[in-house]
Amino acid sequence: MNLPIPLIVLITILCLAGIGLYCLLITRNLIKVVIALQLIVKGAVLAFILAGNMTGQLNLAQSMALTVIVADTIVAVVGLALAVQIRLKTGTLDIKSLSSLKR
Amino acid sequence: MTSNFLFSSLILLPFLAAPVVYLFGRWTARKGKQLGISLTRALTVFFLLVEGCILYLVLKQALSSGGAYLMIGDEPLVFDGIGLILACVVLFLGLMVTLFSIDYMSNEKGEEKFYALLLATIGSIIGLGMSYDLFNLWLWFEAMAISTYLLVAFYNDEPPSLEAGVKYLIQSAVGSALVMFGIALMFSQTGSTTLTDLYQLTSSSAPLAKIAGVLLIVGFGVKTALVPLHTWLPDAHSQAPSGISAMLSGVVIEAGMVAMLRAISMFGKIDMNWGAILIGFGCLNILVGNLMALRQTQVKRLLAYSSLVHVGYMLLGFGFGLAFGRIEGATGGFFHLLTHSMMKGLAFLAAGALLFTLHLSKEEHVPLTLDDLNGASRKYPVAAIALGLAVLGLGGIPPMAGFMSKWQILVAGVKAENTLMLIVVIFAALNSILSLGYYAPLVNRMYRHEPSTAVEQGTKMPVLMAVPLVILTIAIVVIGVWPSSVQFLTEQASLSLLYTFFY
Amino acid sequence: MTATLIALTIGIPWLGAIIVWLLGDRREELTHWLSIIFSLGAAVTSILLLPNAASETALTIPIGGDFGDFTFVADGLGIFLSVIAAVIGSLAVIFSKNYMKGEASLGRYYSFVLFFIGAMVGLVLSSNLLLTFLFWEITALCSYALISFNNDDPKAVKGGIKALIITSIGGVGLMVGALIVYAYTGSYDINNFLANYSNIPTNILALLAFGFLLAAVAKSAQFPFQTWLPDAMEAPSPISALIHAATMVNAGVYLLARFYPAFKDVPYWSDAVMIVGALSAFLAAIMALVSNDLKRVLAYSTVSQLGYMVYAIGTGSVYASQFHLFSHSIFKALLFLSAGAVIHSVGTRNMLEMGGVGKKLPLVKWVFIIGALALAGLPILNGFWSKELILESGLKNGPLWLYVIMVFVAGLTALYTIRCVWLVFFGEPRSDYHAHPVGWEMKVALLPLAGAALVSWLAAGRFSVLLGEESLPYHAVEPLPYLEMMHEVLSLPTLVVMAVIAAAILLWVFRKKLDGLVNGLKSIRWAAENSFGFEAINSAIVKVTQSTAEALRVTQTGVLSWNVFGILASVIILFAILLLGA
Repeated sequence: MNLPIPLIVLITILCLAGIGLYCLLITRNLIKVVIALQLIVKGAVLAFILAGNMTGQLNLAQSMALTVIVADTIVAVVGLALAVQIRLKTGTLDIKSLSSLKR
Repeated sequence: MTSNFLFSSLILLPFLAAPVVYLFGRWTARKGKQLGISLTRALTVFFLLVEGCILYLVLKQALSSGGAYLMIGDEPLVFDGIGLILACVVLFLGLMVTLFSIDYMSNEKGEEKFYALLLATIGSIIGLGMSYDLFNLWLWFEAMAISTYLLVAFYNDEPPSLEAGVKYLIQSAVGSALVMFGIALMFSQTGSTTLTDLYQLTSSSAPLAKIAGVLLIVGFGVKTALVPLHTWLPDAHSQAPSGISAMLSGVVIEAGMVAMLRAISMFGKIDMNWGAILIGFGCLNILVGNLMALRQTQVKRLLAYSSLVHVGYMLLGFGFGLAFGRIEGATGGFFHLLTHSMMKGLAFLAAGALLFTLHLSKEEHVPLTLDDLNGASRKYPVAAIALGLAVLGLGGIPPMAGFMSKWQILVAGVKAENTLMLIVVIFAALNSILSLGYYAPLVNRMYRHEPSTAVEQGTKMPVLMAVPLVILTIAIVVIGVWPSSVQFLTEQASLSLLYTFFY
Repeated sequence: MTATLIALTIGIPWLGAIIVWLLGDRREELTHWLSIIFSLGAAVTSILLLPNAASETALTIPIGGDFGDFTFVADGLGIFLSVIAAVIGSLAVIFSKNYMKGEASLGRYYSFVLFFIGAMVGLVLSSNLLLTFLFWEITALCSYALISFNNDDPKAVKGGIKALIITSIGGVGLMVGALIVYAYTGSYDINNFLANYSNIPTNILALLAFGFLLAAVAKSAQFPFQTWLPDAMEAPSPISALIHAATMVNAGVYLLARFYPAFKDVPYWSDAVMIVGALSAFLAAIMALVSNDLKRVLAYSTVSQLGYMVYAIGTGSVYASQFHLFSHSIFKALLFLSAGAVIHSVGTRNMLEMGGVGKKLPLVKWVFIIGALALAGLPILNGFWSKELILESGLKNGPLWLYVIMVFVAGLTALYTIRCVWLVFFGEPRSDYHAHPVGWEMKVALLPLAGAALVSWLAAGRFSVLLGEESLPYHAVEPLPYLEMMHEVLSLPTLVVMAVIAAAILLWVFRKKLDGLVNGLKSIRWAAENSFGFEAINSAIVKVTQSTAEALRVTQTGVLSWNVFGILASVIILFAILLLGA
């Protein structure tokens, strides 16, 4: 395949974000939700790198990407901690059953 | 004290204070003594007061030297009107919430984490107001979000709290991801994320910039609770501890809105009517918020939906300002930001006081329902008058402050001299009346003579809990009869906003 | 001097309101007396304002920015209404000392009454439209709080909220008008607007005129917004007398009178005003005729008499309408307070259960009869003079068919009045009631009103000077010395009206023989009892709103996937709008 690299990266980003969004909407397991979220964010990180490549500001893009990875790891940790606590207190990770607050 | 030092300490102090406060709290916890936790509480109040003093000093210096800014590496931090008003609001409300929470959280497990996280939230919001670079903005935004995730799910033994926290986290993270894509798009266009660079380097019809704008609006909009991105809000605001509900409704949503406005302000050259988008969302928020609140039976959930309505009013104000260049719109929007934070903060604190005395002090984690409020005024006169005035003020009844801020927003709408905007103004005014349809019965319930069973069995309200209620009540009435007392703050903010947008 | 008096007339009751609220329910006697003293203070200072009528701005509180400066003008129109508000307010407070004896939450009651008095005075003396609207909303707040004073009674709460919402909907008209005035003339000042109204484009001016008409119609309970006033009768009687007869409902008429010079040339405006007034007068009179609740009869009668005042403004005679406002405040407050004395004493509001009360409460009977005669418009009493002036103006300046309707309504007024008096005070008791004697405080409140009903018309000449050129430069009210007024009134059309009234009284006296006629009109009776469908419209609107809200609740599913879907959906929709816009 002779596609230019930026285009491959773009397709990868769209695939990652797309798969992540699809899983986020379809899945019923809380852990999978967090994983799907991570997929989307990794797509965003790649987008930063691509943008940095397109404008020649790779150093700036690199530092931004690292920062995003760190921030997002924290979010994932908090999310998983909440998931663990939910499993302990309600015995299930099914988000359909996690809908007592409604209307 | 150079201005740089003062400014950096303004940003850094809450983050340095947070671990200090936490450690003091843990110091005597193992021995089961009260000394550590009392130190925590006192230190939190102390640090907030110090932060307030620093803010005042920075303001004085900025006024005398014509502006203050700080560069951390390549990231500019600017002390302008928007940052000033956000910092004032968050510090005032934070102080009230801390005073309130001293008794409210007094027997909860993990109390020291509460104060530490509160300080972190306050610090991130102050930083958010000061940031002038899109990526930096996102970073502060994320920091604020992470601090609030833990605060919302604070009662981690109660499944409803956890559920609310998880939903809030996932939705907020999705919003953040959208923002990231938007920033990446803008970065790819211009090679920089500083707001001024972005403004100058975008051309008037860049389609990618419009897509990025939409992503940014929706991404920040999740945090700002635009309809239909608002679904996390009723759960989070009703399950969080009441002081945090006050902070969430009063400042965190508004910080999201400020972030959104900062992001949009760089799009001034693009020929797309951003103001119209804001006005559209505003009308939707007002209508949906009112209709949903009308049928609620839980007090905190009702107040949460009412926050949607007031975010709608603020959006109308800013929309009028951006779409027609009317400065009254932006000034009114910031004025409403200020008054809403005080009135909604007071409402949540008063409802929290009642929740504490009726349920929490007896270790029952049940929500406060409208029926519980029956006859509350005899036993809890301070909480009743506070909740009553706050709620009537939210409905736009003078002499509370909500009347004046709504008025200023509507002035902008009529001055636009546009028939459609006139219809929007009438729509907003009629919705104010619709909101009275659920506020007024609440007030009537409190002043019944026949108390509910919950009120009969309620415990005594601690004095320290009443202090922030009294302060806030006096504040909203004073601003209501003397609106020009805060015009300095609001005008500075609106000038900053419109200056970046139009120039 | 004027500035201080204005500040005192508003400030004294407001200070009293705060003090009485803080006092709470701890010392009942002290609360009663403090309230009386504060309200009398306001009454005195408002009377002292009378000789100082002028058209310049008397008091300015600088606020600035988009809020203008809070200015007050002590002109004739404002002063006389503030005197009514303060004086009748103090009489209602004196009456309340006996009526509300032993009630709980007196602090809240008196606090709102005093707050209301101050706000009403502020409303009529303000010359900044934002300030006028601010006081307008405060009076609505006080009215709501006092109607639903007995919070445990769901009917009272409903009545209060209904009053709040309907008058606030009208208030939107005033608010939009004030905003338009500010946007197009750059200032909120009323006198500035009256001088420069021709600078506003005509369609905007029409919007302004009809907006103000909407506000006046809702506040003064005219058709089609009259449904709140009968339900407001759940309030304690002194409140009905003060707020829903003598002062707040007059705010609408005041608004029309104040802005008449600017709106009189707006096409169809004067006609709309006349029709609204006449329609309200007519339909409300019929509803008063078929009602059996004493206070509701008086409520409908208020709507009807306000209709006369609105009609008068439509025909161009601001003086006649304000003079009738003056007379009506006096005799309607008198009627409501004496009705309150009867209800308090007998324990029921249903006239069918009364009868023969006059034997037990002779003083109340006589003062009620004086008020009733004034309402019916019998000669010598103040109602006669003012009503005739309105009818004269209607004959001269309005269409003939409306005049005929108004004369017919005068007859209906006499008819329902005598029905009311007869059912309550005469005949034999129709149920087993026990009549408590009436306290001295009630008598002290009732007697001055009765006296005023007999002689207040003598002030007509001074009154016309008060409203004249000196203090109201834009309204063109001619001075009318009372000899000239008598000459004007005692003329042929008046004799026609007298004949109609006499016919009405005879109709009642011979009612037994006219059973056939009454049966024939049964369908009208049924329509009137159902308020001609307006209550049905009201409940329909409420039901639709509630069911829409209930249906919308489904969107908050509580399931995370749906919530995230919402986020994505809005992104897609916004992209679509973007594409279409491009």
